Amino acid sequence: MASFLLIRLIRWTAGLLLILFVTYGMMFYGAGDPIRMMFIQGEDFDSEDEVVMLALRKKYGLDEPFLVQFGNYLHNLLRGDWGRSIRLQVDRPVLEIVQFRLPISMQLGFAATVIGSVVGIGLGILAALYHNRWPDPLIISTVLFITSIPVYVVGPMLLLILVLQLGVIDVPYGWSGLFHKDAALPVAVIAIGILPIIVRQTRSAMLEVKGQPFIRTARAKGLSEFRIIMRHMLRPMMTPVITTMGLIMIGLINGALFVELIYNIPGFGLLTIEGIKKVDYPIIMSVAVVGTMIIFVSNFLVDIIYPILDPRVRVR
Amino acid sequence: MDDKSLSLESHRSLWQDAARRFRKNWLAVGGLFVVIAFLILALLGPHIAPYDFLEQNIVNAFGGFTPEHPLGTDDLGRDVLSRMLHGARTAALVAFSTTAISLVIGVLLGAWSGIQGGRTDQFLMWISDLIQAMPGLLLVILINTTLRRPIINWFDTLYEQTKNPFYLNTLWLDYVLVFSALALIAWPGLARLVRGQVLSINEEDYVLAARALGASEWHIMLRHVIPNALGPLVVAVTASMGGAVTLEAGLSFLGIGVQPPNASWGSMLNEALRLWQVFPHLVLSPAVTIGVISVAFVFLGDGLNDALDPRRSS
Repeated sequence: MASFLLIRLIRWTAGLLLILFVTYGMMFYGAGDPIRMMFIQGEDFDSEDEVVMLALRKKYGLDEPFLVQFGNYLHNLLRGDWGRSIRLQVDRPVLEIVQFRLPISMQLGFAATVIGSVVGIGLGILAALYHNRWPDPLIISTVLFITSIPVYVVGPMLLLILVLQLGVIDVPYGWSGLFHKDAALPVAVIAIGILPIIVRQTRSAMLEVKGQPFIRTARAKGLSEFRIIMRHMLRPMMTPVITTMGLIMIGLINGALFVELIYNIPGFGLLTIEGIKKVDYPIIMSVAVVGTMIIFVSNFLVDIIYPILDPRVRVR
Repeated sequence: MDDKSLSLESHRSLWQDAARRFRKNWLAVGGLFVVIAFLILALLGPHIAPYDFLEQNIVNAFGGFTPEHPLGTDDLGRDVLSRMLHGARTAALVAFSTTAISLVIGVLLGAWSGIQGGRTDQFLMWISDLIQAMPGLLLVILINTTLRRPIINWFDTLYEQTKNPFYLNTLWLDYVLVFSALALIAWPGLARLVRGQVLSINEEDYVLAARALGASEWHIMLRHVIPNALGPLVVAVTASMGGAVTLEAGLSFLGIGVQPPNASWGSMLNEALRLWQVFPHLVLSPAVTIGVISVAFVFLGDGLNDALDPRRSS
């Protein structure tokens, strides 16, 4: 068990390093010289600026060879120095910006996961209970329908319908905390994005558990259907649902990118888009770091939780 | 007539069987019609468009639905219908090119991985695991933004050296970048599929027989593995085309994909969204179109999946 986790940890860490290396390499050879771009955007550009540019490059450590820069970056990263923003919020430490922006996205994502799980698991159980009767195909095709519409279409359409046509809500704009009414629509849109994954997984897991002999035994003992679901079906069913956590995280990140742009929420998704449009290296690197960390940590957590939920895995 | 069809029915091919099953699924058939209509419009688009998609008329900006402009006019007074038709071409181009590129990479690497086994296999699968674990959109954004400049620089030097005016035009570079970025994240799925097929078909007795007769690996690949993997591949290709359309629109929506003045549904939606409270009618056309086409692709893929894989459809 310990060696299994260790191997997983090494694999995920190697993956994280590889992705950081590739991203840094693409930044280094690709994105273009941010210092030069800083100057081109200002109107006059003369030879004197070359000196200033050299000084600025030195200041941000952009004059070193690639491997040295990457090594320095990793070293600083581990010490909590994520560099300073070059163009977005000039000279502000990136870690500070991330610490301000990330919690907003995390709150949105967490709320969406809770709502998506409650509704999704409920619908999945319902679909499996009424397998081969009308609620099952209805739920499944509705879910398939919803999955296929991209978030950036659902968001604007809901605005048009709810605000302009029905007039049920005010225009949601910006961020005033998770429990402010403006957060309801963004959370709902992200939740809709991850709902289908949960419904499908719950349904297929439930269908598999439903046919197990121990369920028949429980029923033979005369337990009520509700107790059977709560006591005997829920736990074995949760295992496959938990394993989709990686997918759910991807859904949350995609959702954050679009939803924060649509509703103008100053979260990490919006930071990503702003940083990329302004070619702000340290910001873009922080996006790569945080994005891969989220994915890898959630995958690693799944590796840890899985054996706890399903003892059969522990033996292997 | 009846006798003939009866006798034919006894040996229908896999594809005839699939077509029969597919026709029963009306959602999938509807999806197929929408996709075909989309492709035809993309092909004919610029020729049947009532106006040039770049023609501006500031006086008539933000126009409503009128007989002259059935879908209204945008912030610069450009005809939305014409821009939508042009955007269809962009979407179709991205769908085809991305799928073609990722299909070539995916099939080659997947087959190589499956045949080679061992270290090669482990390494390739580790890479594809990594790519698949990452949020695709984030990767595409990173690739798209970072590859842009070196390619432009490279083209500049090529122009300096050859003086070929071909290298001066960077308008279509947006498209190439979007294709390659999307293909880079799409190939692992296809590679995995092909690898799985190679591994399972290699176990079959008829492959063993072919090998015993001295058939080369390539012969086995072309004669046995690829024809057998065709069904799942068709499904994957459909899904990949639909995915490419929605991802491209999403990228352009974020302002990262196809840049103005090129028309893309995603960027049209983004532009319209800035003034959605005042001119909501401009949001409708791109939003509804993207929605309908994504849904059509998913239902088509789902129907194909059920039709081509009788074991899973039951």
